[in-house]
Amino acid sequence: MSKRTRTILAAALALSLVALAFGAAGCTPKRGGTASASDTPVKGGTLSYYVNEPAYIDPYNTQESEGTNVEQSLFDSLTAINPLTSKLEPAAAESWKANSDGTVWTFKLRKGAKFHDGTPVGAKDFKYAWERIANPATDPKNPSVISYHLSPVKGFQEMADGKATDLTGVKVIDDLTLEVTLTESFADFEYVVAHPALAPVPKAAVEKDPKAFAEAPVGNGPFKMSGTWKHDQYIKVVRFDGYYGTKANLDGIDFKIFKDEDTAFREFEAGNIDFTSIPTGKIGASKTKYGVSADGYTVNPKTQVLLGAETAVYYMLMNNTDPILKNPKVRAAISMAINRQALCDTLYEGTRKPATGIVPPGIVGFQPNAWAATKYDLQGAKKMLADAGYPGGAGIPEFSLSFNTGQGHEKVMELVGSDLAKIGIKTKPDGAEWAQYLKQLDAGTYQIGRLGWIADYPIFDNFINPIFQSKSGDNKSKFVDASVDSAITDARKITDGAKRIAAYQDMEKKIGEQTPVAPLTFYAHRHVGSSRVHNLIYSPMGLGAFDKCWIVAPAAKK
Amino acid sequence: MLKYIARRVLQVIPVFIGVTLVLFLLQAVIPGDPVKMITGERAMSPALRLQIMKANNLDKPIPVQYVIYVNKLLHGDLGTSYQRGRAVRDMLGEKYPYTVKLAFAAIIIEIIVGIAAGIISAVKRYSFLDVLVTLSTSVLVSVPVFWLGMLLQVFFGILLKQWSGGQIYMPISGAGGLSTDFPDWVYLVLPAITLASVSTAYAARIMRSQLLEIMGADYIRTARAKGLTSQAVIWRHALKNALIPVVTFIGLDLGAMLSGAILTETVYNYPGIGLEIYLAIGRRDWPVVMGGVVLVVVVVMVINLIVDVSYAFLDPRIRYGGAAE
Repeated sequence: MSKRTRTILAAALALSLVALAFGAAGCTPKRGGTASASDTPVKGGTLSYYVNEPAYIDPYNTQESEGTNVEQSLFDSLTAINPLTSKLEPAAAESWKANSDGTVWTFKLRKGAKFHDGTPVGAKDFKYAWERIANPATDPKNPSVISYHLSPVKGFQEMADGKATDLTGVKVIDDLTLEVTLTESFADFEYVVAHPALAPVPKAAVEKDPKAFAEAPVGNGPFKMSGTWKHDQYIKVVRFDGYYGTKANLDGIDFKIFKDEDTAFREFEAGNIDFTSIPTGKIGASKTKYGVSADGYTVNPKTQVLLGAETAVYYMLMNNTDPILKNPKVRAAISMAINRQALCDTLYEGTRKPATGIVPPGIVGFQPNAWAATKYDLQGAKKMLADAGYPGGAGIPEFSLSFNTGQGHEKVMELVGSDLAKIGIKTKPDGAEWAQYLKQLDAGTYQIGRLGWIADYPIFDNFINPIFQSKSGDNKSKFVDASVDSAITDARKITDGAKRIAAYQDMEKKIGEQTPVAPLTFYAHRHVGSSRVHNLIYSPMGLGAFDKCWIVAPAAKK
Repeated sequence: MLKYIARRVLQVIPVFIGVTLVLFLLQAVIPGDPVKMITGERAMSPALRLQIMKANNLDKPIPVQYVIYVNKLLHGDLGTSYQRGRAVRDMLGEKYPYTVKLAFAAIIIEIIVGIAAGIISAVKRYSFLDVLVTLSTSVLVSVPVFWLGMLLQVFFGILLKQWSGGQIYMPISGAGGLSTDFPDWVYLVLPAITLASVSTAYAARIMRSQLLEIMGADYIRTARAKGLTSQAVIWRHALKNALIPVVTFIGLDLGAMLSGAILTETVYNYPGIGLEIYLAIGRRDWPVVMGGVVLVVVVVMVINLIVDVSYAFLDPRIRYGGAAE
């Protein structure tokens, strides 16, 4: 080999390796505080938290859990929901009261609360923020999709229809007093205003440049933006020292954006992020490796895997206007024939739990085993079907099982189909694109379908009213029962919390007797935190509670 | 030459119309209601529905929508994302520099490693090095890119870090900016190697076969006969001619890489245009998909033009638009 060729060779090899070598010369990460007793909070450190790319982090249109997680670190609404008990706590409002029938609500705001830009938070900022959401003219191309939160407020409909520019039900009594009038009684409204999207926004900052505000919102919460949203990369927030409440232990949070949990989980295993979801297939191994959290919601070293129930339910829709499915016995037979435990074990590695009613755990007043027909009972299902006049499924034509494709529902439908075959009901899968599928549901041109319902607020009403109220747009099973409609109206007037919950519990049971839908599973967490994270609570609603969390770098391996 | 370039630029117009028309018709005939894509599953009032349709020009007949779209496009307006409410131009604009950086990093690897490996294996035919190059190119060509990407991630991000007690490792996703552990360019290394892998292998193979073919040509024998050293023959006579197909290949490849590397960008969560288009397809965000594809088409057309023109410099016999020889 000539000298020259050797040089070329060396150069070629080196060039391909130099890049590696240079890159590999990493350094020890400098993060977190120093080690100390594990139960004493430590100040400092940056939590690194996985999210998908949010749709919006501006409360104007905060919709999915990703954006909401970021947004709620930047903003405080009037009230807040305890991440463990789901009970209400004061937030931007220090106190509030309703009139006797729950139609007029008065909120007293905290004195001295500030936005991140230093301007004081006042009642007018809530009115402005809510009008911004409710008014479709705010962004005619993309009106806020979460304006429905404000639909109980007087004047909302006029505004939504473009007939008014003032949300008449919201009155600024003085700087720190906000009065909200509703169109009808809604005793749970105090939970509605806890929604992170109903936070105040500073008018001056928004109107200076709405686009810039959407990229770096100025809020009133415990953390403030550091720089702007780097799309598909990260959102960095740091502690806001002018916060009115208890200041966070963390210096900040890096919301790292990944397109899927597989990449995020690899980064977690590489030690580069502190909190992520666990991809299916890795749950068993993670439980052994990281330890399971006792309450299912709190991450601490060695009890790092969260498997607590979420406030969401997956259910089968049955078209209550179908000539055969309008018979409640047929619906009950279908519901009883589904082996929910097998479904949870096969598809979700046992993380999700069989649904026992429509209202999931984590909702204030949750009652186990609310619906009898959710219990797997093959013989009972066969008998029920025979009682309905279809022994062994005779006389029932093939049902189509409609679902939206590409989200893993195929497998659920497969299992449900084979379960139904056992009682003699033949089915054929009918997958469609999401938008197309929704059209089918709205038009009622389906027989059996599926949907998931995720709570906006941890209250019974959030399940009963949208899913079963006869005029609700989300009542896709087309269930109509005048007594349920009037029971909802009545329950919404009960200002005594315990009595109200009892009324809803009763309602859930009564609806269950007719099996308008077949609840399949209650969603559950499958998340994991790193060993340096202490006391990070991930609520049943899927929101991180960052205020009491702290970080300690674990002692080096011996 | 100028005439040729002018003709090529004019050819862009029908291609542009064709591409936008096909895309536009496709998204118009795909089932599903665009308003639902904007608002989600919640029920909404007819008045609001009408407002959204009007604001997005969805209430007009499809031919009119197309004309409006093209008109806006020519004015640099790519529309507004259905679900993000942002200008598509901004969304693509902030992503494109990342794709360009990644593409050039990969092309540099491809040029240096690919051509060098090809030359070595041709010059030292049947030697150990030749066998090594041939073997490794065969392996690289057949390895799926996403799998190679994941292997590199696990090795450089997880295993190396464990073995070295957290001292030596590489970033395995993103484009930097958040952590101060590494300078931003380090984030490019693994994605660039992954993206370059297959093309580098092809470039080496093309280089090798071309060089071998030319080394047997008459004029090379003449050059040797007149007493030139082996080095001079290869560098001054053989290489220049052997490079033409390689340059074509690399040029086309650059075009492809500049159109976004969907697999590499998704595995590494790298915020380029490929990832953006991929995600937009997933959420049926048609304005973003359309804008992204239009951008890609324009880039590919420009690159092809540059490649064609560059032939003229490499091979004196190729002269476009001039008098026939």
